[in-house]
Amino acid sequence: MNKSKGQKIDRREFARKAALLSAAMVPARMTFEGAVAGATNEQLPEGAEKLSAEGRAEAEARFQQIMSQYGSRFDSEEQKRVRDGCYNLQGSLDRLRAFHLENGDAPAVYLKPLVEREKKPLSAPAVGAAPAAAKKP
Amino acid sequence: MLKESILYESVGELAKRIETRQLSPVELTEAYLERSQKLGPQLNAYARLLPVEALDQARAAEKDIHRGHYRGPLHGIPYAAKDLLAVKGVQTTWGAKPFAEQVFDYDATVIEHLKNVGAVLLGKAAMIELAGGLGGGLGYMYASASLQGETKNPWDTSCWTCGSSSGSGAIVAAGLAGFAIGTETWGSIVCPSAFCGVSGFRPTYGRVSRHGAMALSYSLDKIGPLARSAEDCARIFAAIAGHDPLDRSTLAMDKAAFTDSPAGDLRRRGLRVGWLTNAWKDYEPGVGKAIQAAHKILPRHFASVRDVALPEGPWEEAAGVVLQAEVASSFGELIRSGRVKELHDPLDRIGGYVNLTVTGGDYTTAQRVREILQKKIDTLFEAYDVLATAAEPAVATPLTTNLITGLAFPDPVGAIGNLCGLPALSVPCGFTEKDLPVGLQFIGRAGDDAAVLEAGQIFQRATQWHRKHPRLS
Repeated sequence: MNKSKGQKIDRREFARKAALLSAAMVPARMTFEGAVAGATNEQLPEGAEKLSAEGRAEAEARFQQIMSQYGSRFDSEEQKRVRDGCYNLQGSLDRLRAFHLENGDAPAVYLKPLVEREKKPLSAPAVGAAPAAAKKP
Repeated sequence: MLKESILYESVGELAKRIETRQLSPVELTEAYLERSQKLGPQLNAYARLLPVEALDQARAAEKDIHRGHYRGPLHGIPYAAKDLLAVKGVQTTWGAKPFAEQVFDYDATVIEHLKNVGAVLLGKAAMIELAGGLGGGLGYMYASASLQGETKNPWDTSCWTCGSSSGSGAIVAAGLAGFAIGTETWGSIVCPSAFCGVSGFRPTYGRVSRHGAMALSYSLDKIGPLARSAEDCARIFAAIAGHDPLDRSTLAMDKAAFTDSPAGDLRRRGLRVGWLTNAWKDYEPGVGKAIQAAHKILPRHFASVRDVALPEGPWEEAAGVVLQAEVASSFGELIRSGRVKELHDPLDRIGGYVNLTVTGGDYTTAQRVREILQKKIDTLFEAYDVLATAAEPAVATPLTTNLITGLAFPDPVGAIGNLCGLPALSVPCGFTEKDLPVGLQFIGRAGDDAAVLEAGQIFQRATQWHRKHPRLS
């Protein structure tokens, strides 16, 4: 039996699942956008006005994520600080993401400064040269 | 009883006395201990003094030297180590309540190296809790963010030392030890050195093993000395640098070790200085004046001094995201368990939760930006051997300052220096009208720690700021 054929769903089932999914997503979107739209400038953390609508929504979603998981650990002052932190991080992320990167720009994953990786490249063996192990006495 | 002036001598000067047996390591250790017992608590400089162990080490050093086994310039010199370095059998608190009872059964590699050259560990220096990384990108709010309380600046005890190597800065400035070991992830050696008027050196990433040191940010943490001169920093760096199989982030043997002779004549290779024009937005009153005066001195002692601008880019943002993501990893358990609540500072108690939300995608983007920055900066160093600017645009702040509002400024130099793993040295270059020290910073190419230390030595041969000490009683 064809594997992909077994996973196929009919149009009626697809429509039912799509309706369920969108119904589940609407309140979530409304929660974030509503929360941002409903907040006055006084309520928003400092610097929030510099963020785009998407940035504010993401910052608010970040805050909601923390609250949904750990909210019971914070008093109101701490909640405010967590929110400030989320908006502060968002500003950094927006500026970072706006920096132009080419697809081939690789991350600095080696946890080392340039000094070791690029100052002394390993010399490639000459084409056609016999590998060391093949040498005979 | 030793004169106070001897306690303020450089390692080089003390070493000469010890080598020629004019000064006993036991007598020196006793004198530093007595001063530390008296002034240490007033300044909140120590997490813990180790008088019994220190005197044992001093006696052993004295015995060795009398037998003719002199091990070099650190033999018999008392020092303090930041309380995030493991010392076998001794509490290592990381400056934080959740770790107040933590004891390791081994020595950090740095402690081991210093033991091997005969240095005497006087005690553990106070520090900002968990080196200040739990603030969720906002930093910590108060100087009191420490298990040991706020460390007071020996130049003005109503002011702070800066952090996170706060005790290390105070100990050297107050003449409580010959030198101290600090660490830097972003500013934690350079800032306390500047605020306390001492010489502090942040080595190239990977030259000093971090085995046995608290990890805050794996790709940013570095260990280095705070001392009375650039020459002393070079001596201490020579003892602690080197490849360590126990820390895979250390550079290869030939790149990690520091074999320059700090006490010898400077190579006088004619260092080219790039004077940074866009490092700081504004200087606090008093800082600008001292920095301008330092700038004027440089052309007389260096091959060239030319203005240069740092490249523009989201470097601080990249450094912040890297730091937050790595802290989320290093202290994830502390955050998720809720034990961060035990931390002292209001921001340290909540910031970790924000750190946890940094995504892998954003961390990787920051690391990609970092790679581009590293190349740009390396290219910049083709025209300069060292870059120079103020260590900080401000001086020591009052102990009660809200640091988020009262000591906040863009810091592209710190971000670039730490993201690229560059060596940097802060040396005293003057004082404000309130008699608070101002620091001048030299930054070098990754791996060229020698240029930075040499620049500092050249500056200190031309000036006497590093010989000034606070009045304490």
